[in-house]
This record gives sequence, C-alpha cells and structure tokens, in this order.
Amino acid sequence: MTAPVAVRPPKPRPALGMWSLLAASVVITIVAGSAIDFDLLPLFSDTTRGWFIVSQFFAPDWSYLGRTVAPLLDTLAIAVVATAFGCVLALGAAMLASRITTRNGAIYRTSKAVLSVLRSLPDVVWGMLFVAFVGVGALAGMLALVAFNVGIIAKLTAETIDAVDPGPLEAADAAGANSVQRARVAVVPQILPNFASYSLYVFELNVRASVVLGFVGAGGIGTQIAVELARFNYDNLSAIIVVLFVVVFAIDQISGVLRRRLAS
Amino acid sequence: MTAPSPVVRPRRPGKLRYVALQLAVLAVIAVCLTSLDANWSRLLDAPAAAWTYGTLMVRGVLQNPFAEPHLDYWLTSFELMGQSIAMAWVGTVIAAILSFPLGFLAASNTAPRWIVLPVRQLLNAIRAIPDVILVIVVMVPVFGLGPMSGALALGVGSVGTLGKLASEAIEGIQPGPVEAVRASGARPVQVIRWGVIPQVLPEIVAFWLYRFEVNIRAGAILGVVGAGGIGAYIGRAFDSRDWDRIGIALLVIVVVTMLVDAISGLVRHRIIAGPVARAAQLERVVG
Repeated sequence: MTAPVAVRPPKPRPALGMWSLLAASVVITIVAGSAIDFDLLPLFSDTTRGWFIVSQFFAPDWSYLGRTVAPLLDTLAIAVVATAFGCVLALGAAMLASRITTRNGAIYRTSKAVLSVLRSLPDVVWGMLFVAFVGVGALAGMLALVAFNVGIIAKLTAETIDAVDPGPLEAADAAGANSVQRARVAVVPQILPNFASYSLYVFELNVRASVVLGFVGAGGIGTQIAVELARFNYDNLSAIIVVLFVVVFAIDQISGVLRRRLAS
Repeated sequence: MTAPSPVVRPRRPGKLRYVALQLAVLAVIAVCLTSLDANWSRLLDAPAAAWTYGTLMVRGVLQNPFAEPHLDYWLTSFELMGQSIAMAWVGTVIAAILSFPLGFLAASNTAPRWIVLPVRQLLNAIRAIPDVILVIVVMVPVFGLGPMSGALALGVGSVGTLGKLASEAIEGIQPGPVEAVRASGARPVQVIRWGVIPQVLPEIVAFWLYRFEVNIRAGAILGVVGAGGIGAYIGRAFDSRDWDRIGIALLVIVVVTMLVDAISGLVRHRIIAGPVARAAQLERVVG
C-alpha cells in the first residue's frame, strides 16, 4: 500500500466568459427573432398560394434557354473586367494599407479606413450609386463591382503582406532599394499566389452579385431576371435560374481547383 | 583572356508557361472588354456626378438632425438597419444549427465515404444558389414580403459555406484525442462529443461570427427584392433621388456595419486565441 495515490487534476471549471457569451447570444437571438416577427407557421399553413408559385418554378420553359445566352455572356464579361480592374487597384491599395510596405503611419491608417468604408457598403448599394452617376447599364454594374472588389481583395492582400517572410525585405533594404523596388522584388513574389487566389474568389462573388445588380439597373442576367419576375413569367425565370445555377456551380468548382493548386 | 568563373549560376527557371498564362488572361480580359456593351463615354461624367451627388449627400447629413424631416430619416435608417442586423443574426443562427451536423457528415474522418460525397455536393449546390434567388423563388411566395423571408434566405444560403468550413476544420483536427477517447471505449457519438467537438468548436464559432458579418451586408441587399431591412428604404430613396435621405442612410449603414464588424472581430479573435494565448501576449507586452 505504498503506491502513491494518483491525484486527479481538478476538472477545469467552465469559464465564466463562455457562459456569458452563450447567454448573450440566446438573448440576442430572442430579441432579433421578435424584431423580424420570426414565424415558421406559413411553411405549413399557407399551402394554397405560396407553394403553388414555388411549384411553378419546377416547370422551366426550356425553349427560353437560348435567350439567356447573351445576357449571361454580358454578366461574365462584366465580372471578368471588374475583377481585372479591381485586383489591379487593390494591389496598390493593399501596399498602402500594410505596415510592411507603408512606413508612414498617416497614409497607412487612412488607407485602412478608406478600405473599411468601401467594404461596409454592400455591392447593391454601389450599384445604385453608380447607376445614379453614369446611368443604367453594364458600365454602372462594372464600376459597382470594382468598388466592392477593391475593398475585399485589398484587405485580404494587406493581411498577407503583413505576414510575409522578412528575409527578402531585409535583403532589398540592404541592397538600397526604394519603397517601390522593395515592394516589387521582395513583397510581390511572396504574395502573388495568395493574391491570385483572392482574385479568383472575388470573381466567384462577382458572378453571384450580378443577379442582384440587375435589379437596380446595372445590366447582365439580373436585369433579365428582374423583367421576367415583374411579368410573373415563372417558367422563363425558372429556366434562367437553372442556367445560372449551372454556370455558378461550374465556375465555383473550376475556381476552387485553381485556388487549391495556388495554395499548395 | 578571362579565367572562366568557377561559380556556375543555376539556370533561370523557364518563363514560358508563366508568360503564356499571362497572355491568356490578358486575352480573356481584352475579349470581355470589347464584347462589353458599356457606354464608356459616360465614365468621363462620373467624377462630376459623384462630386455633385456627394455634396448633396453630405449636405443632408449635416442638416439639423432634430428637425423634421431629417429626424425621421435618421430614426427610420437606424430602425431599419437594426432590422437588417436582426435578419442577419437570425439567419446566421438558423445556418449554424443546420450546418453543424452537416459539417460532421461532410468530413471524411467522422463519416463514411458514401455519406461524405453526397453531403459535400449538397453543400456545394447550396453555395451556388444566390440568396436573392432563394428569396424570390421560395421565401417571398411562402412567407410574404418582409424580414422573415430575408432571414430564412440568409439562413439556408449560409448553410453551404458554413458546412464546408466546418467540415474542413473537422478534417484538420489532431488524431491524438480521438484515439484516446476511442481507446477508453467510447461509442462513435461519444468520440465526436469528447474527441472532436472540443477541438473544432472555437474555430467553428469563429466561422459563425464571420458569416454574421457577411450576412449583415447580404441582408441589406435582400431588401431590394422586398425582404425587409434597410435595402428597400435605400432603394426607394434612390428612386426618388432624395439625396439627403440617401446620404443619411448610407452613413448609418457604414457606421453600424463597421461597429458590428469591430465587436464581432474582437470576439472572434478572443475565441480563437483563448485565454492562454492572451496571457502569453500580455506577458510579452509587460516584459
């Protein structure tokens, strides 16, 4: 009986912070639920009209497919051009919004603030603004997406720049590089794979965003959706949605494969 | 004349593939640019228009906020922004509840292969449906116009992303705790409860909060198709070109969004880092 008594470590007490967080989220959920009149009853009770409309969406008019090609190509073109302009601008903005590449505190803080304002407005609000600025059409949609993209890509890229390996930076400094040269040879090669990955991600977002941008008059397939919805042509709408789904799904998959390759 | 240098430089890696890729990307962009039926000349008017309307918006913001009609603009904007945030929160809660089990079903170390593959495809499919489509096809016909439709659309729409992120987190766990729990005779459910969940919960909760931030923006969008929140209000203000009201509503969106982002970001970092990491950080600061 000389064996030492195994002393069990005391069970860690559940942290007070965790419980208060849980309680807070329950309270917020109840408040938020009542603020929007949360009610799942229509799901079961309103079986007459609502589900009838939903069922109409399951009977697409396939003959309409041909007429979706042109606006769909428009949408893709808008997304490509916006991503291209957006990522070029964002690379510059990201350089300004990282401590590594911008040593001037005032410029760095201003750029960060501008980027968070850009990001806090949703894409459709940019759409409304640019429709007001340049009129209805693809140009407004493109500009809206550019403004929206710069905020996202620049933020993600700036965070990547913050985490670069300092070795090449020191080498560039030691060799007497100025800020631009330093960014070009020591930073860009390190962040390029991530930057390309963010650009692809934003391209996926842009194709989806084009749906809602059409509702505010910014061109592409969304305009066609808004028109068909206003006319209650659910069978045509359904065909558009099927095509859109296939295209978005395919782009997501291709982009996902490319991004995984960039990450490795 | 010159002695051959003994140092042989390594050959530069070939650039051909890289250049070809760049040319291909440039070609795609060029094709898109030319095919785009955009009225480029309007681009020149944009700065002037932005300046004019911008000053109008700033003027609206600077008006005495306690006099009508501006008092009403401010109050309505804050109220509807609150509704947008409520929509985003409820949507995120719905998505969190639905996606949590799906995450385990889509992770190859917690579910058999014949379940993982279809569940993953389901999550991918949900991700490919834009929220707006969910609203106009299902939610508005069944639930009518209003924030409830928006919240449900955000909830269903976020399941794809949250489920995928959760499954990736689950696949990245350390096998040690799982083996220990299994060695002590736990059933599969107990393995998940004691071996997997404690490892992934902080990360998954951080994903939920991140998605909440995304959904605040998405919620504002859904107002445009009649799903409540501040989107519809802004849409009407733009229709009547009421720049005072637009300016106030935009300012409310920007300020409230940034505020909620900041709070959510703090909580996220705290959850991910944990008290230990924070203590270590404090130690480093103090000395």
